[in-house]
Amino acid sequence: MPPRASKRKSAPPNSSSVTSSDGRSVLNKAKTKGMEKLDRLFNTYANSSLGMIDPEGIEALCADLGVDYTDVRILMLAWKLKAEKQGYFTQDEWQSGLKALGVDSLSKLKKVLPELEKEVEKPSNYEDFYIYAFRYCLTEEKQKSVDIESICELLNLVLGVQFRPQVDSLVEYLKVQNDYKVINADQWINFFRFCKEQISFPDLENYDETQAWPLILDNFVEWMRENQS
Amino acid sequence: MGGSLYQRIEKECEEHISAALRSLVGQSPDLVVFLSLVEKCWQDLCDQMLMIRGIALFLDRTYVKQNSNVRSLWDMGLQLFRKHLSLAPEVEHKTVTGLLRMIESERLGEAVDRTLLNHLLKMFTALGIYSESFEKPFLECTSEFYAAEGMKYMQQSDVPDYLKHVEMRLHEENERCFLYLDAITRKPLIATAERQLLESHIPAILDKGFMTLMDGHRIEDLQRMYSLFSRASLDSVLEESFSKNEAFCNTIKDSFEHLINLRQNRPAELIAKFLDEKLRAGNKGISEEELEGTLDKVLVLFRFIQGKDVFEAFYKKDLAKRLLLGKSASIDAEKSMISKLKTECGSQFTNKLEGMFKDIELSKEINESFKQSSQARMKLPSGIEMSVHVLTTGYWPTYPPMDVRLPHELNVYQDIFKEFYLSKYSGRRLMWQNSLGHCVLKADFPKGKKELAVSLFQTVVLMLFNDAQKLSFLDIKDSTGIEDKELRRTLQSLACGKVRVLQKFPKGRDVEDDDSFIFNEGFTAPLYRIKVNAIQMKETVEENTSTTERVFQDRQYQVDAAIVRIMKTRKVLSHTLLITELFQQLKFPIKPADLKKRIESLIDREYLERDKNNPQIYNYLA
Repeated sequence: MPPRASKRKSAPPNSSSVTSSDGRSVLNKAKTKGMEKLDRLFNTYANSSLGMIDPEGIEALCADLGVDYTDVRILMLAWKLKAEKQGYFTQDEWQSGLKALGVDSLSKLKKVLPELEKEVEKPSNYEDFYIYAFRYCLTEEKQKSVDIESICELLNLVLGVQFRPQVDSLVEYLKVQNDYKVINADQWINFFRFCKEQISFPDLENYDETQAWPLILDNFVEWMRENQS
Repeated sequence: MGGSLYQRIEKECEEHISAALRSLVGQSPDLVVFLSLVEKCWQDLCDQMLMIRGIALFLDRTYVKQNSNVRSLWDMGLQLFRKHLSLAPEVEHKTVTGLLRMIESERLGEAVDRTLLNHLLKMFTALGIYSESFEKPFLECTSEFYAAEGMKYMQQSDVPDYLKHVEMRLHEENERCFLYLDAITRKPLIATAERQLLESHIPAILDKGFMTLMDGHRIEDLQRMYSLFSRASLDSVLEESFSKNEAFCNTIKDSFEHLINLRQNRPAELIAKFLDEKLRAGNKGISEEELEGTLDKVLVLFRFIQGKDVFEAFYKKDLAKRLLLGKSASIDAEKSMISKLKTECGSQFTNKLEGMFKDIELSKEINESFKQSSQARMKLPSGIEMSVHVLTTGYWPTYPPMDVRLPHELNVYQDIFKEFYLSKYSGRRLMWQNSLGHCVLKADFPKGKKELAVSLFQTVVLMLFNDAQKLSFLDIKDSTGIEDKELRRTLQSLACGKVRVLQKFPKGRDVEDDDSFIFNEGFTAPLYRIKVNAIQMKETVEENTSTTERVFQDRQYQVDAAIVRIMKTRKVLSHTLLITELFQQLKFPIKPADLKKRIESLIDREYLERDKNNPQIYNYLA
């Protein structure tokens, strides 16, 4: 999808460095210059009436980045931007996020994606990212749970690479069981715990249902055991 | 002089006795005939010794007494008999065999000479050889007999019949002890029979029959099973070591309890239903004593129910019906049952039930003063009799509120009562439970006046026909405001049952949307006062399910409250400890999985959270 037509302002070239007694103004100027660049990039994709990047804009961004919009890296980007609302980036989020990434252009953004991945995969960040992924799906106000279908997709997206066998079985189970039609945050976080705590798979021998695992996982383990025998 | 006389008597006796016994040897191959000969021999001995003793009484009282090593004449006779009997072992053996055969025949259904048995066994006792010579082989025989019979019957019969048979056999053996066996044989005899007929088959009986009995609501059969099993364990235990005593008893008890409660709430429901049948009026000729006995037996089963709250819910529901409709067979019996439950479970269990009785009695007084009151005398039209049960919410089961638009007159009467009541008891709120009301309507049929005993809902429908000849279902629904399903049931009871006060068009059992109803001009019935059975009298399956559901719902609240209470006190608690605490505090059976559900619900509602550092721990969220 072609990028939206927008007003492109061309900034006046400013190659001479200006020293002044007040060092701040230089920094400010540099900052402003940087911000202007980010703003321009922002406006490339933003919906002008809304004042923020909307789902269409994000799709366009993805196209430009050469990344599918269902790719996990977009989710990671959203996480880095601390985006509040799924499918939207506000100007503030855009600015602080890209600044934190240290990029100010599309090409730089494209180049920084692998680094972003590595950052997310750091153990100290991963759980945070994982929880973020869930919250990102709470699109309605006061929504606390996510439907099974979406959860399955999310699990694949977020945990699929690292924990393929667990995710495959869990997704299969979630689709056949009838007890739960939605998953809440507590259950979500415990799926991760289940994988992380190295519950031996697929024999599940060290799983103890008398411990504080949510009931859905007890049921999952029972289902696995039944299917194996 | 005494001594030589004694010895000469002894010598004579000995000669005679030995000859008599020797003459029995080889006599009669027919055992019964032989036994009669033995009996005669014994009888003769007794008669003769008595006579000798009578003649030589002086000898007995002086010489014998003065010489401690000398037996009395009677004892001497016995001793001689015993001695020579042992010298002719085939006589003794044949006698015992004969006796055992006779008993076996009797067990197999033949009539035998019980007097003969009685006399001969007394002989054995008198000779002091009963235990060794008779009882031992007898018990062995019994054991074999019942071992074989047990196996045969278990294969042939179903469990309830088998248990009845066992009960009958045990009764028989008991009788045997009164009729001819010595009393000391009773205990070991019953124990032997029970061991062979019951104990060896307990697992099979429980396997085969227990579920069928539970499914079939067969309380009496279950009672029989329990009482037989508990007796069996007790008796055999006395034979085994004391140390195994309690464990064994408890195992039987525990497994029984476990089995009873496998079916979750069914036992509680069944027992409550059984009691309802017994306490309801119309029990043909059951005496007060019999009723008491039955109530006691039921209590035995009651002790095994876990989840007594289900029982309470059903019992309360049925008791309410009985009290409100005046259907109790005897208030004394009702109160007796309550006090038995109180003794079993404490007053907390029965407080509400007792409250229900109080309400009924109080209502009687209230109705008396209502009749005398100015409101009633001045405002209630004469010819209208009204009585009200005032129920304290909380004591009585919860009745779902059912809408109905009462005819104007009935509303007025309700208001008159309300005015009276609130003048006496200010600050209270009265809520009419129209679904429970009933009336006697005076009806003017062309073929004769009648009085119809009907429910309030039926009344509301019928009174519509005072102003209209024909009404459609939808008309009736509009005017009465009664809920759809309930209204169809009500109309069914008036137009499609045995007593058809209304006629439905088109005919048919079910009430459809475009049906119409008319007053049945041609109605006739033999009696003057007719009861039109509202279907509310019968227990619907829905009612039972909803009662159970309410109990389970209530349990959920109790669990939640318990979790919050515990966490509020402890602030921080591990999962395992929380579960343990809950099992201690909750008085009904519940699975750990259900507890987890409630914990998760409370996490969702932010009463507690999982600790961030240790997922096994919960923190209370103030």
